[in-house]
Amino acid sequence: MTDVTNETLRLWRESKGWDVPRMARELRKAARDTGEDVAAHHGLVKMIPQWERGSRAPRERYRLLYLKIFEDALGGLSHGMALGTDLALRLAEARSRAASLPGPGEIRALEAAALAKTTRTLPPAEIRALAAEAIAHLHKVADKLTELSALLGDDQASEGRP
Amino acid sequence: MNARDDKIRQVVAELDLHIAEVEANVAILKALLADDEAPGKQDPS
Repeated sequence: MTDVTNETLRLWRESKGWDVPRMARELRKAARDTGEDVAAHHGLVKMIPQWERGSRAPRERYRLLYLKIFEDALGGLSHGMALGTDLALRLAEARSRAASLPGPGEIRALEAAALAKTTRTLPPAEIRALAAEAIAHLHKVADKLTELSALLGDDQASEGRP
Repeated sequence: MNARDDKIRQVVAELDLHIAEVEANVAILKALLADDEAPGKQDPS
């Protein structure tokens, strides 16, 4: 698996609110659905943190099971498979990160709070510029997600839109 | 398919950049706010 995926695996799991044992159960369930053999529950419970830390790379069958389980995050398994696993995972990671970005309202609130501080370490103009830049990039993120959605021919890229 | 994949790679790379910009600016804004708490956390020595 590529260097982008270790953190991605953890983000995906946490985005579902699953602890490691639950993730292990989901992997085994996905494997059962397709008749594949995978490690026992306790083995997966040991391996998952290793995969997430990057100290060990999951084998292909486990990568494919992750793709199957997190199909939504990948924008559809068929797209993910057509794109190739690594690109699909990069795409999923980008979508996951985009989804976790604060919205314009939150950025404005941060800006207001920073401006209201009596002991500012940055001049107000710079604080405003930081917030404005962040929001401008946020719009670009939304544009790129839309562009991806069009390229993939799906309606799911917009799910990660901030 | 390759041209499409290349285009997707390019858009994902651009997306990554914009996300990183947002994250960086937001981190600075949050750090500015966190400074408020710093005096209370000063080294007692």
